[in-house]
Amino acid sequence: MESTLLSLAHGFSVALAPANVWYAFLGCLVGTLVGVLPGIGPLAGISILLPVTFGLNATQAIIMLAGIYYGSQYGGSTTSILMRIPGEASSVMTCIDGYAMAKKGRAGAALCIAAVGSWIGGTFGVLVLTVVAPPLATIALRFGPPEYTALLVLGLIFLAYMSSSSLIRTLLMACLGLLLGMIGIDNMTGHFRYSFDLAELGDGIGIVPVAVGLFGLGEILSTPSASAVKDIISPRMRDLLPTRTEWKQASMPIARGTLLGFIIGIIPGSAHIISSFLSYAVERRVSKHPEEFGKGAVAGVAGPETANNAASTGAFVPLLALGIPTSPITAVLIGALMIHGVSVGPTLVNDHPDVFWGFVASMYVGNLMLLVLNLPLVGLFVTVLRIPYAYLYPLIIMFCIIGVYEVNNSIVDVWIMLIMGVVGYALRKFDFDPAPLVLGLVIAPILEQSLRQSLIMSNGNYLIFFSRPISLSLMIFSIGLLVLAAYSFILKRADWRTKLAEVEAGETET
Amino acid sequence: MTLRADHVAGAFFVGFGLLVLALSTDLPTGSLSLPGSGFLPKIVAFLTIFFGAVLALRAGESRPFAAVSWDDVKHAAMVIGITAAAVALFEKLGFLTTNILLIFALLVAIERRRLLPAAAFSIGVVAVTYVLFVYVLKTPLQTGPLGF
Repeated sequence: MESTLLSLAHGFSVALAPANVWYAFLGCLVGTLVGVLPGIGPLAGISILLPVTFGLNATQAIIMLAGIYYGSQYGGSTTSILMRIPGEASSVMTCIDGYAMAKKGRAGAALCIAAVGSWIGGTFGVLVLTVVAPPLATIALRFGPPEYTALLVLGLIFLAYMSSSSLIRTLLMACLGLLLGMIGIDNMTGHFRYSFDLAELGDGIGIVPVAVGLFGLGEILSTPSASAVKDIISPRMRDLLPTRTEWKQASMPIARGTLLGFIIGIIPGSAHIISSFLSYAVERRVSKHPEEFGKGAVAGVAGPETANNAASTGAFVPLLALGIPTSPITAVLIGALMIHGVSVGPTLVNDHPDVFWGFVASMYVGNLMLLVLNLPLVGLFVTVLRIPYAYLYPLIIMFCIIGVYEVNNSIVDVWIMLIMGVVGYALRKFDFDPAPLVLGLVIAPILEQSLRQSLIMSNGNYLIFFSRPISLSLMIFSIGLLVLAAYSFILKRADWRTKLAEVEAGETET
Repeated sequence: MTLRADHVAGAFFVGFGLLVLALSTDLPTGSLSLPGSGFLPKIVAFLTIFFGAVLALRAGESRPFAAVSWDDVKHAAMVIGITAAAVALFEKLGFLTTNILLIFALLVAIERRRLLPAAAFSIGVVAVTYVLFVYVLKTPLQTGPLGF
């Protein structure tokens, strides 16, 4: 514990260097804007702005990109509360009661509760991350190919189980992602796979063009400017402080959202989205006045907003300790660090203490910064929302092109982005969630290599995954989830995932 | 029988899986003790076909294909067309010229904005972005024949 505190103190000395504070501020500001603007979520935002970090060192780059990530979680609540439009998917639940509060003249209080809840959730997440990640990294050093294979299989199954769309749809998206991830030279044999004589495809398809295409361009294609809603409620500064009763109503949901969000964040999948829905469901269940939900219940804002921020921080635990991306966003962050020559995994804490501890400390600073920034600047963000969408989306397309091209200076990547934009548009038409596709793409090389190495190690014996304690536990967990999923599938029970899909469908229609 | 959205989606994924298998014929599958480069792609292709078939078989739960709204397809096609033209020109004309043309074309052709405000907006925002990237963030951008 003492060494952790010493390391954290060193981290603060890195994070509080003026240049690093500046990049944390920039990341938080841009992230909030990314969260505020409908049609450009955190994944597309981080991907597009990745080239901007090329001129920075690894610590500054990760501090800025992480700031964009958790800044977008804060910003997403603004459009949800003021316009009933979720700036990004994890803010869907905030729309319901946040907008209802705004209509009752409590927009400022809703924004304040969302910001404070987000800060508490995020800060708690960082505290646990500080304590948990280093020892977990030590355990992870014992991981061999069978353990990594079992962990990745568990991740995919968990993603499918927790996804708001159906199990089959999620698995199809993951398969598509895995297939895309196998394009290029096979690392173990040197075979070119599905590269159609294009030298640029030898290295495979990058995460950035796929993510920007699916989430950035795909969203623009399915949003004609005439359909962009611009009915904004402007909060008055004097109304920003909640009343004592509102604080009381928010306190327990914030506490529950913090715990729930962090735990879900550690587990692979689109954790920040799932956590906000689960938190809403829990709050409605434990409330003495469930009939108030949907009509401006404070708990309906406090719980989900806290949970999605706690989950965003929780997602950094497997990233920093195991080097495993549990979401497309953390996958892009791994890509960013690799560009800077830092390989993420159990050895990160020892090999690059400046990056690890500087990053952890910057999250404390960033979360505080967001709390201080968000409330006074709410007027500015409302002004940004007034920019006509017709002028906004051409700018986003320009940033998509720059963002993708600058990563490898490859025009082929930009064409891939364009194709993925069309794919993303088609997937939306048929109600597929593209997030598992990106996750599949990211883990494909690690999964393939660890699976093949495991089979070579065991001379082709599949039982290797069941003969080592860690991989056995992970496989039992995976099988348990599959059995649970099959049970729901057979009984066609309307569980929380079905309800989430219904709520999201309802939000889209309004 | 009503054609449903999941019939179409399921059939697409079955077809896609078959296409991947057809493209994988030259990839060695290897053996369990020494898996080849085609080992996992073929497994995943089979899984894609299987899940696609299940999706199509359970399509009764999805909405009719005719109910899928394509109101925004004209907008999408125009955005894709203009962006594709910009991508084709990007390395020849450079960042500044291509993006000014891209934004101008989107504003005038799709959004029906007047020429002068559209031109002023496109030149203004692209110039600001150029200065921001090149001089503030020190990130070089693609140059055209005139050096910018």
